[in-house]
Amino acid sequence: MDIFLQQLVNGLSLGGTYALLAIGLAIIYSIMGLINFAHGDLMTLTGYAMIGVVALGLPFPVAILCGLVAATLAAMAMERIAFRPLRGASGASMLLSSLAVSTVLHIAFQVLISARPQALPFPPMFSGAMDLGFARIGNIQAISIVVAVLALIVVNAILYRLPLGIAIRAAAQDFDATRVMGVQANRLISLAFGLSGVLAGIAGVLWIAQRGSVDPALGFNPVIKAFIAVTLGGLGSLQGAVLGGLFLGLLEVFLRAYLPEDTLPYREAVALTLVVFVLLFRPQGFMGKSEAVR
Amino acid sequence: MISDAKRRALADSAILSGVLFVTSFAAWAFLGRSDQAMITYLLILIVASLGMSSFSAMTGILSFGHAAFIGLAAHLSALLTIPVAAKGMLLPDLPGWLAAVHMPIWASLIVTVAVVTLIGVVLGLPIARLGGSEAAIATLGLLLIVHAVVIASADYTRGSQAIYGVPRIKSIWAYFAAAAGAIFVTRYLAAARLGLLAQSIRENEPAAMSVGIRPVRVKWAVFAFSAAVSALAGVMLGHHLTVFSPKEFHFDLTFTLLVILILGGFSSVSGTVVGAVLVTALVEGLRRLEQSGIFADLMGQSVFGLTDVGLSIAVLWVLYRHNEGLFGHRELSDVIAGWRNTPPKLPEAAAIPEETQAPRELVVEGVSKAYGGVVAVDDVSFTLKTGEIVGLIGPNGSGKTTLLGCIAGTHTASTGTVKLGGHDLTHAAPYQIAEQGIGRTFQTIRLFARKSAIDNVVAAVAAARPQLSQQAAYAQAMGFLEMLWIGDLANRQAGTLAYGQQRRLEIARAMALRPAILLLDEPAAGMNEQESDDLMSILLSLRERFGVGILIVDHDLKLMMRLCERILVLNKGQLIAHGSPAEIRTNEHVLEAYMGRKATTETNNRELST
Repeated sequence: MDIFLQQLVNGLSLGGTYALLAIGLAIIYSIMGLINFAHGDLMTLTGYAMIGVVALGLPFPVAILCGLVAATLAAMAMERIAFRPLRGASGASMLLSSLAVSTVLHIAFQVLISARPQALPFPPMFSGAMDLGFARIGNIQAISIVVAVLALIVVNAILYRLPLGIAIRAAAQDFDATRVMGVQANRLISLAFGLSGVLAGIAGVLWIAQRGSVDPALGFNPVIKAFIAVTLGGLGSLQGAVLGGLFLGLLEVFLRAYLPEDTLPYREAVALTLVVFVLLFRPQGFMGKSEAVR
Repeated sequence: MISDAKRRALADSAILSGVLFVTSFAAWAFLGRSDQAMITYLLILIVASLGMSSFSAMTGILSFGHAAFIGLAAHLSALLTIPVAAKGMLLPDLPGWLAAVHMPIWASLIVTVAVVTLIGVVLGLPIARLGGSEAAIATLGLLLIVHAVVIASADYTRGSQAIYGVPRIKSIWAYFAAAAGAIFVTRYLAAARLGLLAQSIRENEPAAMSVGIRPVRVKWAVFAFSAAVSALAGVMLGHHLTVFSPKEFHFDLTFTLLVILILGGFSSVSGTVVGAVLVTALVEGLRRLEQSGIFADLMGQSVFGLTDVGLSIAVLWVLYRHNEGLFGHRELSDVIAGWRNTPPKLPEAAAIPEETQAPRELVVEGVSKAYGGVVAVDDVSFTLKTGEIVGLIGPNGSGKTTLLGCIAGTHTASTGTVKLGGHDLTHAAPYQIAEQGIGRTFQTIRLFARKSAIDNVVAAVAAARPQLSQQAAYAQAMGFLEMLWIGDLANRQAGTLAYGQQRRLEIARAMALRPAILLLDEPAAGMNEQESDDLMSILLSLRERFGVGILIVDHDLKLMMRLCERILVLNKGQLIAHGSPAEIRTNEHVLEAYMGRKATTETNNRELST
């Protein structure tokens, strides 16, 4: 039982991180139909920014704050430079341009910083574990879950209470109608990118805390997982993104824990195959809606 | 005799292969080993990118997955061709039967392509079922799954370590043959029936279904075909490299293939070939620049990744200029025709046999459609025989289009039944309903916008009557265009036609099914008086010649009163009146629904009939 609990915690912490990434992707996709490959590079950038700030001798919380600010500004800059000229282009075009942006950033990290992992030691409170009597839970896992839940609550509050969030949700339903209602498209999209940047930054901090180092390709794997989570949840559905992220995280962790020893190398393939199976029977994902034909 | 479109396909292939032949010959006769290897790699890259583009170009779905098939094929062919002794050292844990196999490369090519195609058939089903963006992500999942499996199956693949000692295909002519073969097959397929059907789905899936095209089946078939071409590329690549590991067939290759597609034009075989040439030149140039050390001197450190940056910038450059790559959706023959200013000649129109339909009856019984608490259509019953023209009118939001959708299968009735000639169609898919003999047009025009007008109709002919030769299909399509008075526009791109012409093209496409029943959703919307008069004569002649039954929705009441024998009136989802135009004109309920108040019949009679 306690092993199950520990795995559940691990799954939730991984899934929570995926969910943070996925909801950022879903916000952007639902507004402008862009699947942003460069989303993962925001995580990487957060890491490098933190390393820089720590190297300056500033306290760790300041480093985290600077990392998040860097991710936010980078997301907004990315939108301004790379995606705005393509507004209204096909989904495939935008996806490819984001892939190109990601490649350029990746090379830039390699050339300007280093191809090798750079250490980013986290304060002791992130390592170690708590003994709850019935189960031992890693601090970082606990922190991941708490942070992910808090972030999702805040995002929820933004989306359902603030004018910005209401505009984002309206734009996710019907972007053109939202513009006609007087919402400025450029400002809205820019802020939406900012929001997705913060979330990617938070996910980046949590991700790096588990690994202790930053390398140029850091964001690639998690963001691909987040793509899959978003698809699983139903492309464009914000709640679906969260569900998909949690589902994928739990699936990966439980497969690792409970698959027979000799099939372990296949666990990634098994997890993805299960996801494909879900999509085979529910092509529109958990929360996706099919479009009306007129 | 083959059709004009197929003849153009063969001409394109011959030109492209001819250029490659000259290049290969020059490389064989004059170039040193390393430059010959570059040309060889180009030839392989052409096969690989054609494998990917045959799926992406025809279906419009971006693929990240085809590098997986290339990798599977390379590994499989290596297993089959490495000499037994060497294999024992390299892969000691192979099962006995596989360890004992040793084939010549040509035999391995056949086995490998067959096996990988089969894998493509299995993996293609979920991808064929998904929508565009979801399918693109699913192909990415496919790449990851296959990569993970290849690495995990270390007994067969050495995991992430390199396989070496794979026999080399030395002759450049083998690579040339593979490239030329891939060009002919993919270019021909794009012009053949399967290509036409797939491109129709790419252009507009609901419209494709409305003429009886089955999207999942078509996309699935195209996917399997593209897996076969990719497998060919994989075999050639494996036997060219002779040493490789799984990372050779991962994101870098995928990215290169994507760049080729973008540069060449997303939906063109000719463009893909030219894109491969461009990318090879770009990569080779940048690689030499990188090796020359100029950048290293500038930056004070060794620079790598220049080729990736170059490719990325090339992609962004193409995308920012908002163009569709070098060729867009055009092929070489289109470009040449453009230079010479000679549009393809119009096919001779075939006389459409005027056999009248066996009389059938569309029976709509108690159909309701509810969305949550909102009842859009409420218990509607009526019948429509072949040869009848029946109008469906009602205020905006009264449920007309929803009712039409319930008949055409884009919506499913919550309760009630729809039958045609005794066949229950209530839960049938749109393409099944088209097959049963119900054609339709859409309220918001849905054409295959980037295809020519005649190709729009040919798609319907090819879907409905697969046994026809393509030439006969074009002739018939021409006949339907002339029937709608738009024969002279056959070669115009459908999306560039005027509004009224687009409406007629939609009707021509629906008529190409030879339907028993035709559903028209606001065909006269936005037409001037002359145009709607023309439309009326056309519809009457269609009924006369083919005995088709027509259910027409329109707000042009004058037209409806003159055209229809009976009129159904919907209001708030309910059928409030049903009768001859004269009866409808004086019906109290109708007047109330339209005018929103009780009034004397006389005043409103005037209003309604103007």
